[in-house]
Amino acid sequence: MSTTIDSTRFGRIEVAPDSAIVFPHGLVGLDSRTFTLIARAQDDAFVWLHSLEDPALALPLADPRRFFSTFALEPAPTEGAAIYVTVRASERIEEFTANLRAPLVIADGVGQQVINEAPGAELRAPLFAELAAAAAEQAA
Amino acid sequence: MLIITRRPGERIVLGDDIVLTVMEISGQTARIGIAAPRELPVYREEIWEAVKAENQAAASVDPDALPPVPPPVAGD
Repeated sequence: MSTTIDSTRFGRIEVAPDSAIVFPHGLVGLDSRTFTLIARAQDDAFVWLHSLEDPALALPLADPRRFFSTFALEPAPTEGAAIYVTVRASERIEEFTANLRAPLVIADGVGQQVINEAPGAELRAPLFAELAAAAAEQAA
Repeated sequence: MLIITRRPGERIVLGDDIVLTVMEISGQTARIGIAAPRELPVYREEIWEAVKAENQAAASVDPDALPPVPPPVAGD
């Protein structure tokens, strides 16, 4: 039996039972334990971590390695775990940031928000800085 | 709040599986050792507050605010 969420952002979504992700300790400051990942389009740079308990709770996540070539996570996660970072939006693209300090580690349907002790793991790392630099280099 | 006086080397036990040890006190600084189950999150308070603020900011993002991102370069 799949469950449905009436997402305030995305409308009605069917969620397969095996796609639930449980965060036993939740996410700091958010009142939900069970989520699922939603991709709006294949190859989208962002996925949404959507609560299965609160139709209004969803966070955009990014794969940190797509935006930060030097991203490292310490202590290292278990092998095969998926790593995401939360994204903070802004009106200006230069002000979009990702939280490299507290990534989400997801493995086997269980998620955890961990504190990244790697040097340079910023709380608000400019999300598009590398892409902008690469584009500028290409244009030059 | 429960207030307990401890000397360096002394411990406080919370429940069955959390032990706090006062490692060292030097001036205004106390070093605390924490032995807790691996899955139990332990945060410095200021980091906890900062992560909370980032999570809540992320939770308020409008999907339409996210710009398109060029696909990753092949072989990257």
